[in-house]
Amino acid sequence: MRTYVKDINADFTCKNCGCFVSARSEVSGVVNRNHCPYCLYSRHVDLFTAGDRLCACKGLMAPIGLALKNSRDKYAKRNPGELMLVHCCEHCDRLSINRIAADDDTVKILAVLGNNSEVGPSFLERCWYEGIHPLRESHRTLVQTQLFGSAALMASHARAY
Amino acid sequence: MQTQNTDTYLTGIVYKKNLGHYDVHHNGKITTCSVSAKLWKNFKTTKLPNHTGTRVKEVSEKHMDPIAIGDRVKFAPSNADHGMVVEVLPRKNYLARCSAKPMPGAYAFEQVIAANLDQVIPVFAAADPEPKWHMLDRYLVTAESYGIPSKIVITKFDLVRGKRSEDELINILKRYRAIGYPVILTSAKDGEGLSELKQALENCHSVLVGKSGVGKTTLLNALEPGLGLRIQAVNRATGKGRHTTSHLEMFPLDGGGTLIDTPGVREFGIWGLEPEDLAQYFPEMKALLGQCKFGLSCQHDEEPGCVIRQAVMDGRISPYRYQSYLRLKADM
Repeated sequence: MRTYVKDINADFTCKNCGCFVSARSEVSGVVNRNHCPYCLYSRHVDLFTAGDRLCACKGLMAPIGLALKNSRDKYAKRNPGELMLVHCCEHCDRLSINRIAADDDTVKILAVLGNNSEVGPSFLERCWYEGIHPLRESHRTLVQTQLFGSAALMASHARAY
Repeated sequence: MQTQNTDTYLTGIVYKKNLGHYDVHHNGKITTCSVSAKLWKNFKTTKLPNHTGTRVKEVSEKHMDPIAIGDRVKFAPSNADHGMVVEVLPRKNYLARCSAKPMPGAYAFEQVIAANLDQVIPVFAAADPEPKWHMLDRYLVTAESYGIPSKIVITKFDLVRGKRSEDELINILKRYRAIGYPVILTSAKDGEGLSELKQALENCHSVLVGKSGVGKTTLLNALEPGLGLRIQAVNRATGKGRHTTSHLEMFPLDGGGTLIDTPGVREFGIWGLEPEDLAQYFPEMKALLGQCKFGLSCQHDEEPGCVIRQAVMDGRISPYRYQSYLRLKADM
């Protein structure tokens, strides 16, 4: 039987920047590729769970912040959580958090952190309402540690001095 | 050359077909008929659409059948129990599917399941095998496209009663009830919903459709206990039905009307529909057609200003039904 041809793990072209994006997990390091690694924009296609593709909005989702997702790892209680991108739908204003992929542009991610303070108190209020704890400029070291690892960060500090 | 007098032809309804032989009912009597060579010839030859000459080409599909269950036919009785079908009378309507392709590259063709129907009864099991709601949407769309109303029947309801899956099932069925499809919950084991189903089938020509193992024949046995039709349990290893019913047959019901039992199907391709026309066979979308920014040209997928997508966002159309619509369109 012919099955649904719209493969959710298929390669795609970014609607925002027009770049070709490979959805292969060997490239991105994640099973579900949900945003462009170059501009970090996503699309509003999931409704209830990641990958359900039930949402009819299909609007562009802009990266507007970073957040930490609490880890359930009982052996690493000091782990602050996984770094996530906060996306906001430009069409219906829905917020969602998405995992950062291995090939995401780190400069863009750090730029998003800088934008956090620009989006205003209403964004923060909405984030708290949705159970998302957005990171601020003061968390930059934490974000860098998450992105590059503590060893790489210390090495860069050593080079600076 | 001898010709048979057409006055001797009788009119009957085809109740059963098996390997080129048809059981035709006429005044309560069953006559086993074959098909006349003329009828076959008329059916198996067709003009090629772009053919300039006068030659005709035989349709190569050997599985095609000029007669469907429920057809009203004229037949010439040759002796007490046998006869020959000479003409198929015009159909009020019929239900067909796209045939399964026996191998890659083979041609699919229209496979008529039953004719002259009053309603289609898609049958789904509450559990074992798990219901595939996209398949239900296929049946409903097909029935809508042939202008036949549908009533959804859920069997084996006793398997989910009192469990969490019961609430999930009821929630899913709510969206079909909201569209306007009647839903009947049944259990052949404890007799639940059978009287309601009997009432729904009264004085109607209905056809049961559904995948293997959902309990179509069990339901028929429960409705008409004297039939004693063969049934089998679902395969424990694979969780799938066992293809027990292998032929189409129509049964008269005590309360009036008839019910056609069909073999379980693994796939149900939609025949003869254009992707652009699909939305009109979703009753909840039909009222909104033409109101999109791009009017009737809207594909209801990526286009801006689409009222159907907006209706999904507003909760007026179920997102699952909308996804079914996109999947069906992609399959066409």
